[in-house]
Amino acid sequence: MVNSYFTTSLDEALKIKNTKPVTPYAGGTDLMIEADDQASYLFLNKIAELKQITEDEEYIRIGACSTYSEVLHHKLIPQILKDAVIELAAPAIRNLGTVGGNVCNGSPKGDSVLIFFVTDSLLHLQSMSGERFIPIKEFYLGRKKLAIREDELLVEILVPKNGIDNYYYKKIGARNALAISRVSFAGILDTEDGRIKNCATAFGAVSDVVVRRPDIDQMMIGKTIDEAKGIKEKYLAAYDEAIVPIRGRVSAEYRKSVCQNLLQDFLETNGI
Amino acid sequence: MIKFILNGEEVTSNANPNERLLDVLRNEFRLTGAKCGCKEGECGACSVILDNRLVNSCMVAMGSIEGSTVLTIEGYSKTERFEMLSKAYADVSAVQCGFCIPGMMLASECLLAENPNPDEEEIRRAISGNLCRCTGYNAIVKAIQIAAKEGKGLW
Repeated sequence: MVNSYFTTSLDEALKIKNTKPVTPYAGGTDLMIEADDQASYLFLNKIAELKQITEDEEYIRIGACSTYSEVLHHKLIPQILKDAVIELAAPAIRNLGTVGGNVCNGSPKGDSVLIFFVTDSLLHLQSMSGERFIPIKEFYLGRKKLAIREDELLVEILVPKNGIDNYYYKKIGARNALAISRVSFAGILDTEDGRIKNCATAFGAVSDVVVRRPDIDQMMIGKTIDEAKGIKEKYLAAYDEAIVPIRGRVSAEYRKSVCQNLLQDFLETNGI
Repeated sequence: MIKFILNGEEVTSNANPNERLLDVLRNEFRLTGAKCGCKEGECGACSVILDNRLVNSCMVAMGSIEGSTVLTIEGYSKTERFEMLSKAYADVSAVQCGFCIPGMMLASECLLAENPNPDEEEIRRAISGNLCRCTGYNAIVKAIQIAAKEGKGLW
């Protein structure tokens, strides 16, 4: 007997999640690849509360069940996220797939996930007993291992509004549409009064989790562009050590050199 | 029991909620226009229009469409817009084996409904999820351009 649940209310969904061992179904585009007759799904795709895109003073708040198409056409969404979404799959998939699904699938290849990493976005998790906000970096414990409790649902993704306009994004796929990332890279360099206020990079599809190393990027912070040039070699060497690609559809060596080239291009684009 | 609108008519299905919309359309409703090419959202042969948006019906579980509106190529074929597209596809020989065409036509419809005057790049993006192994796409792109031009006012 199949026990799948359909609801249009978040309260109801949280109640079900609290007591039943269900798999949340947002857009279905990952789950249906291995459609399972016996699975117990909790259908979330028609819960209006999970599809809102709003803003507060600090963040753009994206409902976890917003589809890529909804994200792409919404005026509040920052361009860096739109750039990643426009290259993701194809229109019919973008009409179903959701940002929350991308995050909770737990893959290091998630194209929107990379953007949430580089922007240090927060995840809003909710359960019947309360809510919590955690940085996406803390949510990913390992490949397909996520810091979400059995009774929780991801309800929102909070993308910081400020300091993300000067970005760099590249996805390397085998073709223009319907392509899984072989390597993806995003970088943000925010400068103020001639000094680097924030430097953030993220590498997708290279290891079990998106590589995001604020401890290395820290080197750049507070420096002028000239000073940054001076420590460039040290910075690149630190990433050279930090990036240990796993072999996937393409060789580890290929992934590594693509990462290095993209990082270098990101710096050069910014005059470093 | 799942209730939804299929090609303009209210229908109910007793399908397992985890079943693919594609399989239910073909097996229960005997609507075989949507084709099964890959079952993983890679080919677009199973495209239908769900709540006014193009989707791969192999990626849709029945339990997610309660109250939704589904339009398949069979329903669409009764429209004037279909006639226009069909003629344009035929005029430039945009169809060879035909397997991708139901999906391709629905992708064309969704594009023109949103953007009645698409340029070539926009057309190629709109059909980027619909694979065709026969034509090399150029004739299909041309057909959509012709339909947009000759069908002015329809979209």
